[in-house]
Amino acid sequence: MKSYRKYMTSKIAWYVLTFVVAVFLNFLLPRLIPGNPVSTIVSKITSGMADTNSIKRVYETFEKEFGLNKPIWEQFMIYVSNLIHGNMGTSFGQYPRKVTDILASSIVWTIGLQLPAIIVSWILGNVLGVLAAYIKKGFDRVLFPVFLFISCIPSFGFAIVMVWLFAVALKIAPASGGYAFDMIPSPTLSFFLSVLQHYQLPFWSIVLVGIGGQSLGMREMSIYELNADYVKYCRLLGLKDSKIVKYVFKNAVLPQITGLALSLGTMVGGALITEIVFSYPGLGSVLFNAIAAQDFPLISGCTLLITTGVLVANFLVDIVYGLIDPRIKVAQQE
Amino acid sequence: MAEMLLQVENLKSVYKTRFNERIVAVDDVSFNLENGKCLGIAGESGSGKSTLAMSIMGYYHPPLFYESGAIYISGIDIAKLPYNQLREKILGKEIAYIPQAAMNALNPTQKIINLVADVMKEHVKGITINEIKKIAEERFETLNLPKDVLQRYPIELSGGMKQRTVIAISTILNPKILVADEPTSALDVTSQKIVIKLLKDLLKRGFIKAMIFITHELPLLYNIADEIIVMYAGEVVESGKAEEIIFDPIHPYSHGLMNSIIVPEKGIKGKKLAVIPGAPPNLKLKLEGCRFFERCQFAKDECKNGRIDIKCANERNYRCVFGVEELKEMYEDDKKPATT
Repeated sequence: MKSYRKYMTSKIAWYVLTFVVAVFLNFLLPRLIPGNPVSTIVSKITSGMADTNSIKRVYETFEKEFGLNKPIWEQFMIYVSNLIHGNMGTSFGQYPRKVTDILASSIVWTIGLQLPAIIVSWILGNVLGVLAAYIKKGFDRVLFPVFLFISCIPSFGFAIVMVWLFAVALKIAPASGGYAFDMIPSPTLSFFLSVLQHYQLPFWSIVLVGIGGQSLGMREMSIYELNADYVKYCRLLGLKDSKIVKYVFKNAVLPQITGLALSLGTMVGGALITEIVFSYPGLGSVLFNAIAAQDFPLISGCTLLITTGVLVANFLVDIVYGLIDPRIKVAQQE
Repeated sequence: MAEMLLQVENLKSVYKTRFNERIVAVDDVSFNLENGKCLGIAGESGSGKSTLAMSIMGYYHPPLFYESGAIYISGIDIAKLPYNQLREKILGKEIAYIPQAAMNALNPTQKIINLVADVMKEHVKGITINEIKKIAEERFETLNLPKDVLQRYPIELSGGMKQRTVIAISTILNPKILVADEPTSALDVTSQKIVIKLLKDLLKRGFIKAMIFITHELPLLYNIADEIIVMYAGEVVESGKAEEIIFDPIHPYSHGLMNSIIVPEKGIKGKKLAVIPGAPPNLKLKLEGCRFFERCQFAKDECKNGRIDIKCANERNYRCVFGVEELKEMYEDDKKPATT
């Protein structure tokens, strides 16, 4: 147990180090984009103004407000000290909204869309994969090429096909948005129904593409496990095939768990394009607009959220792995 | 006469490849297994020993297919039994198996007790987990295995311990027949002895009624088997009492096998080792005459053609065109130095 604690301590130290480096890069990289965000904002506000002096004053006020007149290392110190206090700064593009407010309102949409979609596609994909490996014959002969085909389609391409088919041609689902345009978010039944209606296309476009990749991986792993010696031994002990398939599922699903955790971690950035195609009010759209407006604090905020997600997911995988696979736990204790 | 537990009659099993080739891995094999006896099956790699083990358990999974013959266990011909009935009534209950590679035979992510529980629940209706634990702990203690093995994962056990655990699991339901497929091949000599002792113990205590012990090591069989059948290229080439086969083999192949055993002695490094030259024939081809023909140093033209049947002469069963006396003479001549 002592060695296990040692393993965990060193693991946590590595995660902290990675996080520190990530914070630095999250701050630095957006600021390396050529162009000046302040002049974009100022030119918008001062359109129609003729007095160069007052334009210059507006420019200076904004530069001071955003702290862009200070040297970059000083900006970084301010950024870090604000971050420690839970303040991610003010958005340039959506001034004067706070970055934390923008992230908080959009992440609900992203998680609401992505979490169920990833989990559903993971479960469906893995169950179909193990069945294809076990049943073989007709089932596998049909499903395998279908999986292969679906997994090769990029998610945005698939999303566009879905929009065209269900929203434009068949007109059975709305094409864009998180809810109807004429509505204001409120806890009413009609709003909820509208959300549910707008939910279907983005949800299924993520699920279907996800199933393809998951089931292919699971099928390969299951075929390998089904040929393992313990399967033959269990059969000769007179165990039911349904029981043996359960063993096989548990063993074959282990590498898939890493995949699940990673896709959960990257879910914020992963659905960026799907969210844009459907104009879904999630983090993906926010990040996309922030990059377009050179909104440094908002870009840093989004990427920091994604980084944290990936790190936490990886850390959880390490723990969960040790719990379900005794072989990993032994390796961790060495 | 003792009770017959297993009767195998003219059994033939084939492997079918993807390209529709047929490999007859078990060809016309017949034998009986009596109550209280241990039957040894010997032969080199690829002789069909393990396939025979699978076949007598009725375990026909592609690419292995049943072709003809019968396997009687408790009066039922299990070769013709549907898999579901075989699984429910026979496997694990009447006939049990110890695999060749016990190292990988246990599910790596399952505690030993859970496998035992699954096996017992499958065959004993309405048994509770507490009863299972009690039975398993008692059995492990009787067989001199530490009780705490039950709460462990396979990775936490040594090779020898894994093999003994597998033996205990396979026999937990007191099956009549135990088929042990090279249970000692991967073990060091000390663990081998422990496993052999354990298997003998199972027979003595009546946890199993009879055993089939498969190995490529003939001397080992002398230690445990009452009777031996020697297989070559899917056929039985000789069968009889263990002592006779070990000390007085009749068939040229059994004779060659016994001669190739390496006994540690002084100056062995300088000695030329006796081997049987060549390799077994390709079983995909339709074979005529004696299958050992190409490798047999005593072969003559008459060995080449027709089908050579098992014959019973001087109370010995063997598959060769020559008579017992004739063969013995040949072996004597062979022993003499070449100069005389």
